[in-house]
Amino acid sequence: METQAATTPASVSQEIVRRRLRANRVVTGLSVFATAAGLFLLAWILGYLLFKGFTTLSLGMFIHDTAAPGSNGGLRNAIIGSLMITGVGIVLATPIGILAGTFLIEYGRGSKLAELIRFVNDMLVSAPSIIVGLFVYVIVVKPMHHFSGWAGAIALGIIALPIIVRTTQDMLQLVPDALREAAYALGAPKWRVIVVVSYRAAFQGMMTGVLLAVARISGETAPLLFTALSNSSFTADMSSPMASLPVIIYNYASSPYPDWKHLAWAGALLITFSVLILNVVARSFAPRSRN
Amino acid sequence: MTEAHTELHAVPPPAVAIPIIDPHLDPKIAVKNLNFHYQTGFHALKDINLSIADRCVTAFIGPSGCGKSTLLRVLNRIYDLYPGQRATGTVLVDGENILAPGYDVTRLRAKVGMVFQKPTPFPLTIWDNIAFGINLYEKLSKPDLDNRIEWALRKAAIWEEVKDKLKRNGTSLSGGQQQRLCIARAIAVKPEVILMDEPCSALDPISTARVEELILELADDYGIVLVTHNMQQAVRTADFTTFMYLGEVIEFGETEQIFSNPREQRTQDYVTGRFG
Repeated sequence: METQAATTPASVSQEIVRRRLRANRVVTGLSVFATAAGLFLLAWILGYLLFKGFTTLSLGMFIHDTAAPGSNGGLRNAIIGSLMITGVGIVLATPIGILAGTFLIEYGRGSKLAELIRFVNDMLVSAPSIIVGLFVYVIVVKPMHHFSGWAGAIALGIIALPIIVRTTQDMLQLVPDALREAAYALGAPKWRVIVVVSYRAAFQGMMTGVLLAVARISGETAPLLFTALSNSSFTADMSSPMASLPVIIYNYASSPYPDWKHLAWAGALLITFSVLILNVVARSFAPRSRN
Repeated sequence: MTEAHTELHAVPPPAVAIPIIDPHLDPKIAVKNLNFHYQTGFHALKDINLSIADRCVTAFIGPSGCGKSTLLRVLNRIYDLYPGQRATGTVLVDGENILAPGYDVTRLRAKVGMVFQKPTPFPLTIWDNIAFGINLYEKLSKPDLDNRIEWALRKAAIWEEVKDKLKRNGTSLSGGQQQRLCIARAIAVKPEVILMDEPCSALDPISTARVEELILELADDYGIVLVTHNMQQAVRTADFTTFMYLGEVIEFGETEQIFSNPREQRTQDYVTGRFG
């Protein structure tokens, strides 16, 4: 502090310097406090989850299906169900989302239609997921007369779609026009510029977007209640009702049975750490350093 | 060398040497009555008439906003990418009007390459950066492609620096190397003209000197059109110089004449640093 004041030009009075240093300390203090508060809550949640869930983690959980209280059930059907529903959902949403984002930036830039789609998409990003669940209930479950894994996957796909559109759009927007011009200047046709230059430049960001969408939908509960419902036995048939981790957690956590409650904690731990790992993987896609 | 030679003679040779090539007689590119409007309606180029010779360096100089980059961007029709930008008049490249409806811009861009202000390596390996352009026009076998890439990198005076790291990302190079990579990429498709839009403005003095040397070498084989803010660069590299101001060509001539003996007062004011 002393040296800092000493090197200040004489025209800046000591009083101003002191005031600036004071303001700096106050703002720094507030920022540190806010960061600490946020991190504390996060650590609390993760710590509590680890404490409650870790003791109940067991190999049996991955081998046995959900069963009646007291009969040593597991979560296998819910884990497989979640993987399948989420996987199909993301496979449905990714190509549509990437192509839509591509249209918005590479083809429709500045057009009225693109502006409209962008606006509606931004609304969809924040649409309550239960609305999506009800929507899919009406257009898929009712006509088919039964709940199904497909319906669940479609609901999750609809939730993932606007996220993927948005990140694709943002990442393509970041690709400098100079790079596109350089490719056009070589005589490259538009599709080649998009595939070789734009996608390549935006690839890491777009992948991150897809992974974040997976993380988002893998924890969704409400839309699955109206679509995939749940299933107490194992099935890999997407046209029948399917169990999923979030729905099982919801059912088990609100049940009175201790062993179900333990499984709910274990399931919550599983889902949280999967999402955490996904986020870390998404991070690792971040631009590599030089060399 | 010529200066030392001159001193020995009692009668100095004319201050302006007779050009080896008169761009007006056999132009590679001939611009006639060119007008250019931006989307906003801004009239950026006004009745431009200009001839650009093959195998020479032609520099466009002038203050910011005078239209020199706009003019350059007409010559390969890169402005086409932005709807609402409009060029009218005639631009003949090898006698063909590139502004004519139905003219194939792909063919034009194979013939007229471009190097930009900021180095623009694609996010690909050094090898792929060069191969990208070649693959647009030719289906070469792997050894032929390797040879062509080496040829282009050598021609752009960067081969020695990158020959051991062709599989590295082009963006990992330094700014000066990136710019030479971009020049190699432009050369690799065997163009006839290379447009350069302030190619050194993002480079340090040493990289600038290397690129200028390269420009002089390339002028043996290609027509080069150079937009520059740096008048010394025009003096060092260009055979012909065009001074532009407010969207008009004020004066066109041999570089030496433009800088030592301009006909127009505005040219005189600009080259002596009185404005701009």
